[in-house]
Amino acid sequence: MSRFLNIAFLLFALGLSTALSTTFAHADTFLPPKGAPVLTVTGHITAKNAPTGLVLDLAQMEALPQHRFTTSTIWTEGQTTFQGVLLKDLIAAVGASGKMIEMTALNDYIIELPLSDAKDDGPLLAYLMDGKTMSLRDKGPIWMVFPYDQNPDYRTEETYSRSIWQLLQIDFVE
Amino acid sequence: MAVNRSLLDKVLRGLRPVIILLAVLSITAVVLNWLRLEAELQTYRQDAVDNIHWNVSQLELDLVRFGSEAEILQLKPDESLGELRKRFDLFYSRAQSILQGNMFGKLNLGEAIMPMNARLEYYLAQTTPLVDAPDVDLRAALPQIEVDANIMREDLRAMSVKLVKNYAVMADMRRAVVATMVQRAAWAAWVVILALATLSLLVLWLNRQAVHTADQTLRLSSRLAATVETSLDAIIVTDAKGRVLDFNNAAAANFGYTPQEAVGADLATLIIPPTPCGSYFDLMARATLYGSAQEANSGRFQMIGMRKGGEEFPIELAIASHNTSEGVIFIAFLRDISDRVQAEDALVQARDEAMAAEKSKTNFMAVMSHEMRTPLNGVMAALEIASGMAVNDKQLRFLDLAQSSARQLLRHANDVLDISKVEAGKLYLSEEQFDMTALTEDLVAGLQQVAAQKGTEVVVKPLGPLPRLVGDYFRISQIIQNFLTNALKFTENGQITIEIEAQRRNDPLLEVEVRVIDTGIGIAESDQVRIFEDFVMLDQSLVRTSGGTGLGLAIARRLAQAMGGEVGVESELGAGSCFWMRLPLAIASTPTPSDAPKLQPVQTINPMDVLVVEDNATNRIVLEEMLQQMGHRVTMASEGRQGMELARSHPFDVILMDISMPMMDGLTATAMIRAQGLSMGSRILAVTAHSLPADLERFQKAGMDGCLTKPISLGNLAKSLLGDALDAPQPQLQAQVLSPDRIDDLREGLGAAGLARMITRFRADFPAFRARLLAACAPDRLSDLMPICHEGAGVCAMIGAPALQQLYAMGEELCRNGQEAKAAEIIMAQVQPLWDQTEAAILTLDLPS
Repeated sequence: MSRFLNIAFLLFALGLSTALSTTFAHADTFLPPKGAPVLTVTGHITAKNAPTGLVLDLAQMEALPQHRFTTSTIWTEGQTTFQGVLLKDLIAAVGASGKMIEMTALNDYIIELPLSDAKDDGPLLAYLMDGKTMSLRDKGPIWMVFPYDQNPDYRTEETYSRSIWQLLQIDFVE
Repeated sequence: MAVNRSLLDKVLRGLRPVIILLAVLSITAVVLNWLRLEAELQTYRQDAVDNIHWNVSQLELDLVRFGSEAEILQLKPDESLGELRKRFDLFYSRAQSILQGNMFGKLNLGEAIMPMNARLEYYLAQTTPLVDAPDVDLRAALPQIEVDANIMREDLRAMSVKLVKNYAVMADMRRAVVATMVQRAAWAAWVVILALATLSLLVLWLNRQAVHTADQTLRLSSRLAATVETSLDAIIVTDAKGRVLDFNNAAAANFGYTPQEAVGADLATLIIPPTPCGSYFDLMARATLYGSAQEANSGRFQMIGMRKGGEEFPIELAIASHNTSEGVIFIAFLRDISDRVQAEDALVQARDEAMAAEKSKTNFMAVMSHEMRTPLNGVMAALEIASGMAVNDKQLRFLDLAQSSARQLLRHANDVLDISKVEAGKLYLSEEQFDMTALTEDLVAGLQQVAAQKGTEVVVKPLGPLPRLVGDYFRISQIIQNFLTNALKFTENGQITIEIEAQRRNDPLLEVEVRVIDTGIGIAESDQVRIFEDFVMLDQSLVRTSGGTGLGLAIARRLAQAMGGEVGVESELGAGSCFWMRLPLAIASTPTPSDAPKLQPVQTINPMDVLVVEDNATNRIVLEEMLQQMGHRVTMASEGRQGMELARSHPFDVILMDISMPMMDGLTATAMIRAQGLSMGSRILAVTAHSLPADLERFQKAGMDGCLTKPISLGNLAKSLLGDALDAPQPQLQAQVLSPDRIDDLREGLGAAGLARMITRFRADFPAFRARLLAACAPDRLSDLMPICHEGAGVCAMIGAPALQQLYAMGEELCRNGQEAKAAEIIMAQVQPLWDQTEAAILTLDLPS
């Protein structure tokens, strides 16, 4: 009897979540992180798993839509393949609204960019470099990169300044 | 001004391509420069690197914070080493960016950074093992780490200052390059602006020119349009196919179409009546074919046009063609000439009417003078008879006076009739042989008595020898007689000389001139031409005394002209006049002795039964009296029907038949007498004043045997009763083969030898003549037949061969009536038998061989 109820609840929850996901613009439901948190998302978002906002571990990053590209950078030697979550996909996943995004790095570096700059080809919240997770010394665990080689518009000083590494927190401000 | 303008125009037109080329070049330069600049800017933008100052200072800051943490940790031995290791990681991460990254290389600072990189690598190689060592070892190494960090910091500062300085130099260089390019772009822009300004000016000027030209064109075309529209002539412009392009007001007024209706329509169907299709079209086609304006521009011509309602009217048309850029166009100028044509018609009609009036006047005169002659004939005949019965001198004197007046009157009537004949082209000239000197002498002899009375001597003076001539003896006498009587009239106690002179001409003819020279009163020069006109008498007082009509010289002039000659006068007032006559005359081929008219005694003949049919009582009485004097029995009838009835009931020997009678005319009566009754075979003679050959033929056709021409004298009457009055052939072919009377006449006139020569010649000529005659009987030569018949009839009449003459005359008559084929048939059948008979008869003649 209880098993039946459990199944019924699960089914209900599934239907509800499906309904919610369609209602709230792809906002996924996030459980609290099990592993070490790698990114904290705050501000105007619909998906939260903590009082302050959303805390994501590496597994949860892996669960989001994945994207990868290979490019050179001015900070590294040779071609590098980056994999991670497109900022655009993250925005969709967390149901973010507002106009500006404020990002903070471990070394207190802070950048701002408008939501509209989250395009289909970048930026990418990369957590894998050449298939390996990145340590602090390798600008990990998350480095926001752009496909510099593919799009000349990204070979500008502004884009370079926006390529924040050792990223800790994303805040969707008004 | 115009010269300057055109010169300026030329210069500007010449400059235009140069300016355009300049503009194009500078625009190209600007574009190229812009492309280069854009590329440079792109590089400038894309090659931009992470802020070098930021990175260098951050590296220094990270090192400072790492060193401070090491210093703090020495004072706090219990504190976690996590923060120290994080600080190192952050420093390490940034140092790696500088070591591995290419930002300095891209800034051409690769060499400048080399010492720093080496120093950084050395530092990291020394420190990283210390940081990565276990906590105990790390704590032990903290003083060392602090010292190393401080030393590294000082080195880093020194090296970064140098790096920034180098970077500033590099940046200045890059800015200079960009600045140069921008400046170049600015210059190019200036050139473009200048070129554009020049072009604008040029365009402005060209625009003004265009406006001016357009204005002028507009003015010209409006002037032209006004010209065309106000033209009184219709002006229609068509294309090469005849489609109307332009239709002016006058055309609209003339043809009834509005320009809107006419434009685009086919001109030929629009304004040309359907029947005489295409005269206009032909013209257009020709003009198109020849491709030139020659045919089209060939002046004016007339044709019939058609209005909208179908009404036709005459137009005068001129077509011009013109080559335009859109092909040939035709410009037709049309004028309604109805009024002019009407006027012309009216004029022609008026002329015709005037001519008809003139003709009827001439006819009237001819008829009047003719009608006068009939009663006059009665008067003269009666006077002649009366003078025969006069019993005393007094009666005789009055009768002479009356006779002379009657003759005068007759002469006037004859004069007028002569003129009428010449005018009507009815003057028939005979061809007789005569001697001009003898003729003149005869005339002079007749006037000698009058000349003697006036004390004037008349002399005939032939200048050189003169052969016998051929011509109309009577008419020539008439002219000379006129000159002579005139000369006598105006010459008292003077002299009249008649000079006769002949000169050879180029042709066989002789030019014979007869001059009548008097020493009379002369004629003023102004009158010398006038006197040859009708009814001109210089001295009106002479009308009564000399009894002239003023027609004499006019007749002389006409007669001379009719004979191919001329008359004229040379005169000096008070000294005298010379009237001359010049005629071209043939020389007689057979010189014969004088055939001056010989008087024939009135023959006594057996009494005959004579019927006189005459409506005029006077004439009737005259004829009756004359016939009775000759001893004939006379029966009188006063009109045609009565005469016909009398003739049918009684066999008369001779019937004298008047032609013009009111109820039944003489011709009808004759035909009816010939048809049946007792006088069918009687000799019927026409009595008439008609004396034209055509009349004689008419009489013969009606069955008459001869013609007695008024005025009738006893001699004429006696002759005609005997059968000599008419050279006419006998009815049917019962005519004699040879006429003994004629032969006798000839014998008497020519002598036996002359007659023999003539007959011989007649026979010798016949074969050639017959050949020509029969040749003309061929179907394709029939048009020659009539003149040959005429010739033959003439010859036979002269020689006195009535049978042949009649045959030829009949042939001639048939030809005249358009029956040439029939004439040919009869002639071919009969000419040889008749000739054989004639020749046989000739051989019986008693002639010297």
